[in-house]
Amino acid sequence: MIAREDVPPAPPPRPAAVPRPQRLHPLTFVVGAVREMVALVGAGATGLLVGGLSTAFYFTLAGLVFGLAFHAATWATFTYTLHDDRIELRRALVGRSVKTIPRERIRGVDVSASLGHRLLGLAVVQIDAGADGGEGTLNAVSRQEAARLRRVLLSRDAAAAGPPGATALRPPRRTLARMRRRWYVYAPLSGAYLLTPFALAGSLLSALYNLGDDLGLVTEDRLTRLGHDVIGLPAAAVLATAAAVLLLMPVMSVIVFTLFNWDFTVYARDGSVIAERGLVTRRSVSLERRRIRGVEFADNPFERLARVVRVNALVTGLGDAAHRGRLLPAAPWGTAQDLTARVLGPVPAPLLPHPRAARGRRVARATAPPAALGALSLAAGQPLVAAGCAVLACCAVPIGLDRYRQLGHARDALRLTSRSGSLRRRQVVVDNRAIVGWRLRQTLFQRRLGLATLIAAVGAGDGGYPILDLAEDDAVALATGITPAWLEPFLDHPPSPPRKAA
Amino acid sequence: MRRDPEGPGGGGPHPPRLRPPAHRVSPRAVAHWAIEYLLLWGLAFGLAWGVAVWIEEAHWHGLPEWLDRHLWLLPALVGAAGVLTVAVAPVWRYRVHRWEVEADVVYTRTGWFSREWLLVPVGRIQTVDTKQGWIERLLGLATIEVNTASHAGSSEVSGLPARVATRLAEDLAHRAHDLRDDAT
Repeated sequence: MIAREDVPPAPPPRPAAVPRPQRLHPLTFVVGAVREMVALVGAGATGLLVGGLSTAFYFTLAGLVFGLAFHAATWATFTYTLHDDRIELRRALVGRSVKTIPRERIRGVDVSASLGHRLLGLAVVQIDAGADGGEGTLNAVSRQEAARLRRVLLSRDAAAAGPPGATALRPPRRTLARMRRRWYVYAPLSGAYLLTPFALAGSLLSALYNLGDDLGLVTEDRLTRLGHDVIGLPAAAVLATAAAVLLLMPVMSVIVFTLFNWDFTVYARDGSVIAERGLVTRRSVSLERRRIRGVEFADNPFERLARVVRVNALVTGLGDAAHRGRLLPAAPWGTAQDLTARVLGPVPAPLLPHPRAARGRRVARATAPPAALGALSLAAGQPLVAAGCAVLACCAVPIGLDRYRQLGHARDALRLTSRSGSLRRRQVVVDNRAIVGWRLRQTLFQRRLGLATLIAAVGAGDGGYPILDLAEDDAVALATGITPAWLEPFLDHPPSPPRKAA
Repeated sequence: MRRDPEGPGGGGPHPPRLRPPAHRVSPRAVAHWAIEYLLLWGLAFGLAWGVAVWIEEAHWHGLPEWLDRHLWLLPALVGAAGVLTVAVAPVWRYRVHRWEVEADVVYTRTGWFSREWLLVPVGRIQTVDTKQGWIERLLGLATIEVNTASHAGSSEVSGLPARVATRLAEDLAHRAHDLRDDAT
């Protein structure tokens, strides 16, 4: 079922193979309408129950009809045209608007499908063209068309723009990594998934409260009674509830994690790396391989104990990179290394430790905030607060020590890697060619210790990746080793055999 | 590619160090920074004074006694920090701020309390801007802004004479256009 409305003789701009405007899939409006219909039918039923065949009911009915008409009209007036050099999204419902996205600017094509879309065999295509190209959404097309669009838009070769549904040309797909069953158990290790149940419960409760408030079910009287009931509960019941919540948290986190990351698969096809995941909403993100400039490993102390790590890609001009750049959820270290080797190349190893002077600095920086707060509160005559701060400062010492232990960097002829952080440890691996400049930073304190922080400026991800507290000379030597031509003119004592650029 | 002398004592007797960039900024920059700091700290002092007076007039009971008695400390501390900054920072910055363009690499050193060296090859530059605030216009100075695809690789040198800044920006823009590869 390919949506392909043949619009009568379009004015031919070029003689060769005139691209024809195409419509979205006809079933699209069903998905949109169903969502509103559910809400409206609910409201209509309530209206019917409360007031019988009143004005409210007719209003709801009119709203329903209008909504359906709106969806149908939106579908009928939206077309997209795939040209050799651009894709045009044309909207003509109220105002007329044409959005043109140059194909060379397209950096990623995401295909996602909610439950409704999947039941109908549809998918939403999202085209990302970086900051200067904008974004376009096709909501929705058939699944084959989505796959074709992605293939055509991401391969720069205009010849690949075959007729829709020409799946025979599909280039081979090579799986790079695939989630194993037992990885779902790693979910509770990451704090975010552990807390999602609370977020869900919170939003559910507030939605219930608002709904009840709107319907006049929530009164002050009832709230007070509820409060009294809760206070009146025996301690054992409260304890049991707390224990149940504590027990449920990991279980819930595994469930939520599974919803988002079910069958996480990374595969390569035609110059792109594609990550697919999700149980209900299946999401697939394509990252153009030549725009992947590096990789980031992130973990926390619990994940370190279990030897698992999360992997993100550093991609040039990728919006919402935290979610869309994800290459692996919590996965064993070996698999992560393996995947990185296939996507980017081997990670330089072993990591070189940083000078001893950096240790004192890490500890000082970890303990300084609570210590300063403690000193302030002592001066203000609050010994209790000061004592609390002192305890916090003591707890910060091992964190500072661990931060020093985790510091490290390494490089080879092609890549640079740097690691830092403790509670949230990150190790980035950056392609040497992706570095657009060097920034060397030295505070007065670092200067006294002979340390400096070298920041590799990269036009992807965070924009710059620091290598904290290197020895001053090592920092210069490291930068010189990677890009000799940039530093050589400014060196005081060039090394005797002048090295040439890599 | 050979391994280079990394690690302490790994290389020759003199491990290579960065020399400072060749050119200083205009001495008038000292006046510019001094005026800027004066305005900023003056504003902060006024605010602190206002807050202290306001708290005193309000006669809050919840306030700890110690704080109530030492309220004058707030504007005094802000004032002292301001005087110190205005006196020290502009001259210090003038001694640190330097720039150079050599072999198609832009090399700058900025900062005062903490220093930053920035090395950006002209080929990776995306845009070069010059801008002039009202104080800079009065003093005939300009700020030059070198932007790359990464904010960490973008730098700003303030306190250049306006003529030098304009010429430098034009030169850099031309060279960047000629040398530009995929600048990301």
